[in-house]
Amino acid sequence: MGQLNFSNIHKRFGAAEIIKGIDLEVEEGEFVVFVGPSGCGKSTLLRMLAGLEEVTQGDIVIDGVKVNELPPVKRGIAMVFQSYALYPHMTVFENIAFPLRVERTKEEELRKKVEAAARILQLDQRLEQKPGQLSGGQRQRVAIGRAIVREPKIFLFDEPLSNLDAALRAEMRIELTKLHKRLKATMIYVTHDQVEAMTMADRIVVLNGGEIAQNGAPLELYHKPENLFVAGFIGNPKMNFLPVTCKGAGPDGVKVEYDGRTITVPVAPRQGMEGRRLTLGIRPEDIQIGKGELDIPVAPSVIERLGANTVVYAALPGSDTENYCALIAGSAPVRAEETLETGVFAKDCHLFDEGGVAFERQVEMTEVDPELLVATG
Amino acid sequence: MKSNAMIDRYRWYEVIGIYAGVLLFLTFVLAPFVEGFLVSLKPLTYLFSSPYKFWPQNASFDAYFTMWERVPLLGRYIFNSILISTVGTIIGVILITPAAYAFARFDFRGRGPLLGAFLAVNMFSGAVLLIPLYRLMRSFGLLNTYFAMIVPGVAFVIPTGIWLLRTYMLRIPQELEEAALADGASRFYTFRRVILPLAMPGISVVAIYAFLTIYAQQFIYALTFNSKTEYMPLPVGLYAFFGRQDVIWNELMAASFLGVLPVFVVFIYLQRYLVAGMTAGALKT
Ligand SMILES: Nc1ncnc2c1ncn2[C@@H]1O[C@H](COP(=O)(O)OP(=O)(O)OP(=O)(O)O)[C@@H](O)[C@H]1O
Ligand SMILES: [Mg+2]
Repeated sequence: MGQLNFSNIHKRFGAAEIIKGIDLEVEEGEFVVFVGPSGCGKSTLLRMLAGLEEVTQGDIVIDGVKVNELPPVKRGIAMVFQSYALYPHMTVFENIAFPLRVERTKEEELRKKVEAAARILQLDQRLEQKPGQLSGGQRQRVAIGRAIVREPKIFLFDEPLSNLDAALRAEMRIELTKLHKRLKATMIYVTHDQVEAMTMADRIVVLNGGEIAQNGAPLELYHKPENLFVAGFIGNPKMNFLPVTCKGAGPDGVKVEYDGRTITVPVAPRQGMEGRRLTLGIRPEDIQIGKGELDIPVAPSVIERLGANTVVYAALPGSDTENYCALIAGSAPVRAEETLETGVFAKDCHLFDEGGVAFERQVEMTEVDPELLVATG
Repeated sequence: MKSNAMIDRYRWYEVIGIYAGVLLFLTFVLAPFVEGFLVSLKPLTYLFSSPYKFWPQNASFDAYFTMWERVPLLGRYIFNSILISTVGTIIGVILITPAAYAFARFDFRGRGPLLGAFLAVNMFSGAVLLIPLYRLMRSFGLLNTYFAMIVPGVAFVIPTGIWLLRTYMLRIPQELEEAALADGASRFYTFRRVILPLAMPGISVVAIYAFLTIYAQQFIYALTFNSKTEYMPLPVGLYAFFGRQDVIWNELMAASFLGVLPVFVVFIYLQRYLVAGMTAGALKT
């Protein structure tokens, strides 16, 4: 069990509306990641779900039961906090055992459960230590252990890895994914790190300003972002946005003009778009050196060589900041301030209208397993 | 200067200045103690010898023995002093701890004004309020009991105690409590298992503060609210050394020192908590 349903959730702090109507369904066993920029309301949403924050309006339903008024423990959830929230005066064992002590579990059973959790998390050797003696990753695991022993239907994680260094974060990401497979519980995971979102999620919910910007499988968000916000948020380095003018629409897509050159982007056409200002979205990794269907000559100002890749930053004509970024081969022969011919192909392009809403891309993404584009339940 | 940190390097004249300053203040603070101690060692007859000699001749600890005979209740006075302070401290801590928690965590109406009022109360010492307090004690029938000295003592440590402990408790991360709440613990369970242990250094500070304050202030209340000799604390009991004609200075000083001793012991023993508690911000989670 662990099916979850938000319907029309609102949250106000005084006059400020932080969550502006969220509708969301989460299937049992799903790993759902909430991402969004800082302050968009991710933690608030999670805390409402946990029962630590009141819901101003709307219903939260877990397994068919409305839980708005229920205390956290009655909701069948367990939460892992960003700061771990371990009790510094208790040993690891007592920290993990805390929820069981609250429930007055019998000593024997308690010991069994704690030891089982410790084994899963490789904490067997640490049970008698205090949290202060542990490394960041171990503390994180203790916090997870405290969640596991409750055997909750739904796990809530609020940026659990943000205090760890990059290497440990990658390691814990894998461990969490394994844990999810093993426990088969529903997991709701909040982060502002899109790598975490892309790698762990069955489904990503992108939040922006208290609303859902898009909700879908990781690759769906990557290949078919529904709006400028998601397009810019998912993907690293960020998608390039070029101002273009619409020149017409036909069955094979929308024809747009950039800097005197035209390209027909294969997206679902709409009528009456001629002359409108649109935004052409190009991912840095889709840019080639040399000719493409649309050529964009630039003079790189900063070049970052990462070994495997080279990141080229340049200013587009009519701009004085580096708003054009290309991700090219690690050994590409590029030099700063020397004009570079770059090109893109129409099938890789994204197109957005004045309101930032995407035109649906028509391309068959043959290289993508279609299963990956559908959120798995 | 052994320390290697740049910030700890001083020029020679700065070092001299620092030590001179420390010496000056220590003189003012400690001279009465030294003088008092030396007086307690001098035989009474040498006390008023002129010219006055700072260093005692024929020094002896006789006064520390004879004082018990001259004032047979001396032991009782000392016991009373400690009893009043200890009971007062216990009651104080029991009242202050939950109150401080409430002021730290619950958002109730009038919290701000109340805290302000607590601060304002500190402007009045108990002495200013003696007469109203006297009437209060009389109507509660507390005059001439231990409680006459304990209750006002406790009352005046509560506001500062709440401030001290509240500040300390504010530094305990709220997430700890939320985690406990999410795990099903009740407020009270959380308070007992999580807040209390973590607030222990802060509670120690409050206990020390309460003990010292009540110990130092008890004589005002004793003088006013109590006339029973056997309930008197030491500071009042010392008057017994004031004879009809002369004052037995050496024994008076000896008894005073004995009276300072409990405070001293408490302080020595607990001062590391005091320092740790006052500087603690680093609650490692
Ligand atoms: N108790 C509160 N009272 C008033 N405003 C609040 C409160 N808690 C959060 N907010 C506001 O709600 C907004 C969203 O906060 P929230 O913590 O949910 O953001 P977030 O998406 O988790 O951000 P981050 O990635 O930085 O953690 C913020 O603008 C914040 O100022
Ligand atoms: Mg947050």
